[in-house]
Amino acid sequence: MKLNCCLIGKGNVGTCLLELIEEKKPTLKNMGIDLVVIAIFEFDGALINHNGLNISKIIEIGDNFRNLEEWNENLSALDSIPNLNLDICIETTPTNPKTGEPAISHILKAIENHIDVVASNKGPFYLHYRKIDNLARQNNCFVKYEATVASCVPAISIKESLLANEIISIKAILNGTSNYILSRMSSEGVDFSLALKEAQELGYAESDPSLDIEGYDAAGKIVILSNALLDWNMNINDVEINGISKITPQAIELAKSDGFVIKHLAIAKNNKLIVKPRMIDKDSPLNIGGTLNVIEFKTKHAGPIILMGRGAGGYEAASAILNDIISIHKIRSRR
Amino acid sequence: MIDLEVRIPDTPGSLIELIKPISNNGGNIFGILHHHDKKLNNMIPVNITFELNEKLKETSLENIKKDLREKNIRIDKIALGIEKRHITIIMTGHVFDTDVVDTITRLAKKGIKVKELQAKFTEISEKSNVKFKLDFPESISKEELIRELNIICKEKDLILIHS
Repeated sequence: MKLNCCLIGKGNVGTCLLELIEEKKPTLKNMGIDLVVIAIFEFDGALINHNGLNISKIIEIGDNFRNLEEWNENLSALDSIPNLNLDICIETTPTNPKTGEPAISHILKAIENHIDVVASNKGPFYLHYRKIDNLARQNNCFVKYEATVASCVPAISIKESLLANEIISIKAILNGTSNYILSRMSSEGVDFSLALKEAQELGYAESDPSLDIEGYDAAGKIVILSNALLDWNMNINDVEINGISKITPQAIELAKSDGFVIKHLAIAKNNKLIVKPRMIDKDSPLNIGGTLNVIEFKTKHAGPIILMGRGAGGYEAASAILNDIISIHKIRSRR
Repeated sequence: MIDLEVRIPDTPGSLIELIKPISNNGGNIFGILHHHDKKLNNMIPVNITFELNEKLKETSLENIKKDLREKNIRIDKIALGIEKRHITIIMTGHVFDTDVVDTITRLAKKGIKVKELQAKFTEISEKSNVKFKLDFPESISKEELIRELNIICKEKDLILIHS
């Protein structure tokens, strides 16, 4: 089955996705999927070829893709989406935590035109989840966004494996940067600013790390999980958020002396969402180090189920996106 | 906490027979007291204090009583003590300058007792980190306790980290 798709955002995730599509061509072919990328949009224009872009050439040329003859200066995704005969729109633009733009407009435009959506951009889902979901239902569209939370860790699609069970609450570490900082403070006894500097030098933290360390990133992710898995109707303003910047090495030491570690937890329980530093038992499965993510789902019939893995990275997100595309194809081809 | 008063024969192995049903049913034994001075007809009164998992308490206690009956151990008295629950919290900020005694007193008025307090400073004028081990009665839920702590911490500009 031929699947015409467009990619919006050729940053790290978008580029890794193109590489993964090339790598997985034989696998996709075996599944009966002919994935044709007919457009790649950037903020200042787009590569368009209605018969399919030459992905290997685009990968080879790297950042010079604007020199290709398929490049159309100033062509916007919003204007083009209705006219490209698309099956799937892949949204990988960077997150705007305040407005969700431009991703939210791209997503809504695609759905209005009966195009399925796969996204890695969190903003639209923690700001406007219900709007997206309602519109997708009205237009009989699939919207998948596994990459928005914990990257390729199947935190959202786990629901498909628990159809006869019920997730009651979620407790998680969803931000690798803050977990790295707390882990270093705990293992080395360094203070917050030194651990942050180290994280920035290693590329784990942005030059402006506030979204990570103040808990906003984790808050967005717990909103997404609670809406998707607990069927809540929340947005980021419903989360009680405290960051980790005021945690001291002395507090960590005091916790340690009683067998606890301090972790930045995101919790969805009893219709309440919180992101706060909490003490957990040092032997808890949630006590993970480095930049890892971990999610504990408390289920009605099977107690806790725990997923852990790398929560960020280009190929990790790309593999989640491609997985979403494959799963949409599987459902569509069964119909 | 449960205090069980029984009488067992003054023979080797009797104490183990008393302990088995308690540990088999998840009891965490805190203390055993033999009253050798009150020995009568070769039977010694024994007090055994233990704790059971709150959720399974009723069932576990019934099972213990049944097991003891089957072993012909006579129960003279069972006393269910006032349950105390524990929590460890850390407050960071000017915990002492914002009147730590007031903090403790306000908690005590709600039945929340500070059992242990440990503090760490960098400089005396700097913010302190204080760990409190608290006991709170069954009548207060953990959520209510946290709410109370949050009110105090907000008022005194302290950061609260709890377990």
